[in-house]
Amino acid sequence: MELFNYLILGFSVALQPMNLFYCFIGVVIGTLVGVLPGLGPVAAMSLLLPATYHTSPVASIIMLSGIYYGAQYGGSTTSILVNIPGEASSVMTCIDGYQMARKGRAGPALGIAAFGSFIAGTIGILGMVLIAPPLVDFALKFGPPEYFSLMILGLMILTFLTSSSMIRALMMAALGLVVGTIGLDNISGLARFAFNIPELLDGVGLVPVVMGLFGISEVLLNIELKVKREVFTAKVEGLLPTLEDWGKSIWSIGRGTVIGFFLGILPGGGAVIASFVSYAIEKRVSKHPEEFGKGAIQGVAAPESANNAAAQGSFIPLMTLGIPSNVVMAMLLGALIIHGLTPGPLLLSQNPELFWGVVASMYVGNALLLALNLPLIGMWVQLLKVPYSILFPIIILFCLLGSYSINNSSTDVLIMMVFGVIGYFMKKLSLEAAPMVLAFVLGPMMETALRQSLIKSKGSFSIFFARPISAICLIFAIALVVMPLLPWFRRRRPGATLEQDDVT
Amino acid sequence: MKKTFLISDLFWIGIAAAFCYGGIQLGFGSFHSPHAGFMPFLAGLILGLLALADLAIGLVNRWKEDKEDREIWANISWGKLLLTVALLFVYTILFSTLGFTISTILLLLFLFRVMEPKRWWVVAVSSVACTGLFYLAFKVGLDSQLPRGFLGF
Repeated sequence: MELFNYLILGFSVALQPMNLFYCFIGVVIGTLVGVLPGLGPVAAMSLLLPATYHTSPVASIIMLSGIYYGAQYGGSTTSILVNIPGEASSVMTCIDGYQMARKGRAGPALGIAAFGSFIAGTIGILGMVLIAPPLVDFALKFGPPEYFSLMILGLMILTFLTSSSMIRALMMAALGLVVGTIGLDNISGLARFAFNIPELLDGVGLVPVVMGLFGISEVLLNIELKVKREVFTAKVEGLLPTLEDWGKSIWSIGRGTVIGFFLGILPGGGAVIASFVSYAIEKRVSKHPEEFGKGAIQGVAAPESANNAAAQGSFIPLMTLGIPSNVVMAMLLGALIIHGLTPGPLLLSQNPELFWGVVASMYVGNALLLALNLPLIGMWVQLLKVPYSILFPIIILFCLLGSYSINNSSTDVLIMMVFGVIGYFMKKLSLEAAPMVLAFVLGPMMETALRQSLIKSKGSFSIFFARPISAICLIFAIALVVMPLLPWFRRRRPGATLEQDDVT
Repeated sequence: MKKTFLISDLFWIGIAAAFCYGGIQLGFGSFHSPHAGFMPFLAGLILGLLALADLAIGLVNRWKEDKEDREIWANISWGKLLLTVALLFVYTILFSTLGFTISTILLLLFLFRVMEPKRWWVVAVSSVACTGLFYLAFKVGLDSQLPRGFLGF
């Protein structure tokens, strides 16, 4: 009954005209950046973060969340019609979605992607409603050792599931920790590696780092590529999947939703990993695995459902524990802090209108996305025809001005450029940026938790193993580091399997 | 020999060494009373050890699982790439002095020409129009404090 009351509170907040307007703006921008390759939800969110200073915290989080799950919808359009994933989480959709388009079935592919996303999003929200409150009670038992161990586990899961070498993913996580130490020390107030640059006293900003690593580096890579885009515009018809399509897809949508939701909750998990894992599982359980890669509708339904369910699930660790599970959630953490809110177990009791308002807005947003993505598909297709020679200067300018407008500082733009160049080389060498950014965000929190734990235990590391929750997290984390060393397991690691079988 | 990965590992080892040194300078403290240099030293040490391990693995199996140098650096339009990066750095430096309007028009003039040769008047009109739209979006819409520069706009 209490949950029901909270949901009513949520909808009363989400349906307020101003919040509805921001939800609409968020999902439109999300779909747009999902459709356009080179500008992802992280860059879009960091760009719009300064714009939310003047709005209420609820409206700004509703808009930023809308960008995230809107991008999951939009990303499928480019994957199916152009074979270029607008989003990393839509990479798997390319495989069968594009083949369906080539066979003249672009309509049902887009349709099942949209309906699958809607169903997954809806179930994901229900999952949030059921799981978040008990998790909050559980989170109240957390002290610094538990937080530290959970963050370590999150980083280990992310590095474990990345497709590149685990040792290099760990290296990038360590680099993130190192960069996170720049600025004033949280405990002593001493300046670290600031080199008398005032802007660096607050540390390196998240927005310039993210925009550089994800925005500028992508543009630099695209400059050298000569990608010929072939858009299947003439054959986009019959968006409603047939009964046969539904029969084939419904269980894939169900499995994708469950896998996606739980991988989304997991610290270190997220939409990208969820779509990869759900595709691999769908191929394993299928009676006709040979059809995958040749236009199987299940190959579109499963990853599209998974990435949307994961997008919803990943809000849970942020809202209940205050720990972002991926880069996008790190951006939301930043937004909450800007508005003077502390994400964590007390958020639900102190700001119920924010938590339940955002949850309810996701449902409203999902309905808006269904309306936006199916009837307006022609408009999104037109956007895909914008030549890259026009698109790339605009993306660059967005990044430059976005970085500048955070603090009105050219230093931030310079930092973004440096990380853009670093990101370019990282991509050339297949070094993952995601572990680096997550470690960069978690670094200061990890440092505080580690130092507080050590002070409390008088320098003994046994505190991390003496407390059950912390010990379990660390044992899992250690297992994740050790497992890839076993030759038998190395061949079966999720990232490695997918890389060999499908991505190529 | 895959020099790219060798150089990459050595680069990360260098970064790690710098942060370890910085950590010691700031003061490591002790485990029961960690100081400001504790985390930079620890994180730098982890980065250095991982890079060293990656280097050792690479040297032993001769980076057989990695791409060839040629594969990584082939088909790159170095001219376009370096010109774009240089332009962006110059823009960043001149942005405050020249002001948003002039520096952005100049940047877009070059960027629109870099990718595909188009007629100058098309490039000029597109640059001015884009600058105007960005001005509206950031200055009017988002209330950003864009620099005016010495000319006052």
